[in-house]
Amino acid sequence: MLQGVNRKIGLILALLSIGYLYMSYQLPTYPYIPVDADAVPKTLGWVLLVLSVALFFSKDSDSEEQKAKRRIPKKDVKALLGVGALLLIYIMLFETLGFIIMTVLFVYFCSWFLGYKNHIVNAIVSIVFPIALYSIFVFMLQIKLPQGILPF
Amino acid sequence: MKKLLALLIFVLMFLAACGGENTSSNNDNANDEDTEENSGEDNDEWALSESIEIVAPAGAGGGWDTTARMSAQVLTEESLIDQDIGVVNKEGAGGAIGWAYMAEQEGSNHNLFVSSSPILLVPLNGQSEYGHEDFTPIANVIADYGAFAVAKDAKWDNLNELFEDMKEDPQSVTIVGTSAPGSMDHIQFVRFAKAAGVDITKIKYVSAPDAGGVTQVLNGSADVFSTGVAEVAEQVRADKLKVLAVTSEERLDGEVLSTFPTAKEQGIDETFVNWRGFFGPKDMDPAAVEYYENKFKELSDSEAFAEVRANYGWNEMYMGNEEYKQFLDEEKENLKSILEELGLLE
Amino acid sequence: MGAIEGILTGFEVAFSWEGILFVLLGVFVGTFIGMLPGLGPISAIAIMIPITYGMDPTLALVMMAGVYYGAVFGGSTSSILLNAPGISGTVASSFDGYPMAQQGKAGKALAIAAISSFAGGTISVVLLMIFAPMLASVAISFGPPAYFALMLLGLTAIASLSEGSTIKALISAVVGFMIATIGIDPQTGTGRFTFGSMNLLDGIDFLVIALGLFAIAEVCYLVMNRHKTAAGSGKEIGSLKLSKDDAKEMSGPVGRQSLLGFILGILPGAGATIASFISYIAEKRIAKKPEEFGKGSVKGLAAPEASNNAATSGAFVPLLSLGIPGSGTTAVMLGAFLVLGLQPGPMLMGDRPEVFWGIIASMYIGNIFLLVLNLPLIPYIARILTIPRPLLISLVLMFSLIGVYAISFSVFDLYLLLAFGVIGFLMRMFAFPAPPFILAFILGGMMEKSFRQSMTISNGSISILFENNISLVLIILSVLSFAFPIANSIWSKKKAG
Repeated sequence: MLQGVNRKIGLILALLSIGYLYMSYQLPTYPYIPVDADAVPKTLGWVLLVLSVALFFSKDSDSEEQKAKRRIPKKDVKALLGVGALLLIYIMLFETLGFIIMTVLFVYFCSWFLGYKNHIVNAIVSIVFPIALYSIFVFMLQIKLPQGILPF
Repeated sequence: MKKLLALLIFVLMFLAACGGENTSSNNDNANDEDTEENSGEDNDEWALSESIEIVAPAGAGGGWDTTARMSAQVLTEESLIDQDIGVVNKEGAGGAIGWAYMAEQEGSNHNLFVSSSPILLVPLNGQSEYGHEDFTPIANVIADYGAFAVAKDAKWDNLNELFEDMKEDPQSVTIVGTSAPGSMDHIQFVRFAKAAGVDITKIKYVSAPDAGGVTQVLNGSADVFSTGVAEVAEQVRADKLKVLAVTSEERLDGEVLSTFPTAKEQGIDETFVNWRGFFGPKDMDPAAVEYYENKFKELSDSEAFAEVRANYGWNEMYMGNEEYKQFLDEEKENLKSILEELGLLE
Repeated sequence: MGAIEGILTGFEVAFSWEGILFVLLGVFVGTFIGMLPGLGPISAIAIMIPITYGMDPTLALVMMAGVYYGAVFGGSTSSILLNAPGISGTVASSFDGYPMAQQGKAGKALAIAAISSFAGGTISVVLLMIFAPMLASVAISFGPPAYFALMLLGLTAIASLSEGSTIKALISAVVGFMIATIGIDPQTGTGRFTFGSMNLLDGIDFLVIALGLFAIAEVCYLVMNRHKTAAGSGKEIGSLKLSKDDAKEMSGPVGRQSLLGFILGILPGAGATIASFISYIAEKRIAKKPEEFGKGSVKGLAAPEASNNAATSGAFVPLLSLGIPGSGTTAVMLGAFLVLGLQPGPMLMGDRPEVFWGIIASMYIGNIFLLVLNLPLIPYIARILTIPRPLLISLVLMFSLIGVYAISFSVFDLYLLLAFGVIGFLMRMFAFPAPPFILAFILGGMMEKSFRQSMTISNGSISILFENNISLVLIILSVLSFAFPIANSIWSKKKAG
């Protein structure tokens, strides 16, 4: 029953639209306002529901090229998840450890993780760029970025 | 490798060039730090021991941001405060993001923020956990007044004529303002309409951000523009709009401004002031509160700040800690009853 | 002839050596700010206000104006090279600029962007100078019904924005529109779909979505192809050479879209971002080979670039001649006027002609400076693409992260960026086009606002949309632009059958 990509996506989108519709119907309404806050969301929810049903019943018409895009080699999946994990760590510690430390570490380890072997260039770039950007924002433009545990 | 080097040099060039133009302001800072060390020592009372951060709970360029930046500028330039004063924008959710941030600074003596009427209205609308009760009011410094403007060829010449029509059919008149219903532009109009006896639940209010309000009144889409006095003064001078009433107690000063009638003189006993002042976090050291209170008094009395006020069309309105607190409590009760009647209270 | 005298005083101010110096300073800072992630002209000008306090007002304003259009000029660089727009006005430039750069023609793409921007900027200044006093009435001619019709016209083009499945394009658009409904509803003050989170009360920033869907999603593909190097050698990448054909191809869109962008820029609330999108769509609609759009078309890059710069000059019309700031940036400029002791409005032209015309005249020089500053740098900037992929990926990620953080200073938005990156990656994988998503996000919000404003004004009567000439014409155009492709396809099928 659920063969074909369109069917799966159609189903997911239908669930999404039902969730969105449910929330739209919870919105408060006010007297004396001709088109209330819930009107547009309700319309959008129903339209998406109709479209997802249409997608469900439409034939898969993807080209070979498009199908190839979906086949990600295992090695690349690992790389993507790795970069994702690095990003998550970056965001989580960004305000605690501060912009400079986190960005230097991020640029260095992300490049290294992705296979950049020239450690000297990598170190220079990952130190110079974040510090340069930090100085521009904080000292020149007086826009505060998280300083974290560093004294400046 | 060579290319990379070229790139780096390019970036550094940019930095050097940009750094150059700002050296003057950096030097200023350096000088400030020197003087600060001297004055810090011979002071027995509570004194600043680190730099101050003033939060503007809004984006760059708005009323809160300009108040914060211009105050910081005058405080520094007039050497009223010798520490560095940094202005930080905590934008979002009509101020709630900034207030939440300030709530985390509980007990700090070096974090201040700017606020005005929204700190009463936004919590009442249910969009902020924190209201003025959760902070320490330090001093009010500025007052703005509202104005109700209509196109110059509109059929109403004064506020009473407008309200007479609205008493007959509130739905026949469209009010436009910049902010959402339940916020300042809306509430200031409702207050006067209520005092005049209009059914305020039926008032038709359109919110038009991005200066849409004045456009809509000029092209006839909406009838009445409820806004701040400064926003319409120039249009009146150019004979495009006329002001039916301002919300102040007495007429304002200024060539154009003094021609605007108050609602009071038209027999509607109501006023509305958009006050703006400084707050500290909860549990601020009373000695620090007193220190800032005095500094803001000096700021408010200074000539430099008088010039700033004149440029922006702000009015002087100083209130110290105690008086401010009481004023805020009363104002909140007042607003609460109006929002309740409008069905906007959360 | 007061106006001509005024114009002459304006030129005198702009061509004095101080005038030239401050214009140069302004456009330089502007280009730089535009290239920096997250920083737009708004923050740049707001920061400058206290610094310019006490300066000669005309010079200060000439400089700030330079920052404004300089930022729009410089913002296209990262859109084209990294698919990571630095400011919202240049998101549309990435549609064709990035593919072109990926084909090893980065220098060419940057040159097209620079020349189109220059032309758009200059053409619009000419228009501004000739028509400024008259254009004031254009700025206020659009009521809510007309805005609604304009946004509707923009949205009807969604199906034409992408090839492939129409259903998928429509789904993208509807979801984009749904994202636009998140946040406080301005007409009632209700928070919608905020899940009780304060961070969502203001809705999601356009740049968070653009950087997520475009830059982060693209990074995913770069990660998968990290061992390949960019197409073309260093020399080729930096080459600015435009063929005669390129020049010919550019001239049409640049001319047309400068005009359209200028008019859209005049309308308060529309601005450079919406102008660039509408120009892109318009150019695609009339193109002989619309299938080339999105794959590195010269026209597809020239159109939004000419348009966003023209819109920037257009935005000065309501500000200078009416005192109405139609956008965030011009609102901050209005603040700058006030600090400097000036009141922009209908009286400015008569009271202070040297300010009014000085700012306009300075834009000629500013645009020339921008071109002269930017062209020689292109070969160097374009070589960013020859940086080894792993390093480039890290730097693009860094750029996007700072860009988003500098908008709201909230870590929450960084998570959102990541989420939109994942959505963008999945959308590509399953062939859901991103441009309709982003278009519906930006136009949808305005469409809802103006529709509901209209309905409140008319007490719920839909006829208000057809009573106004502008909205009537625009609605008819929308219907045609929606019906024509459908009718066309039915007709051609019949013919074939």
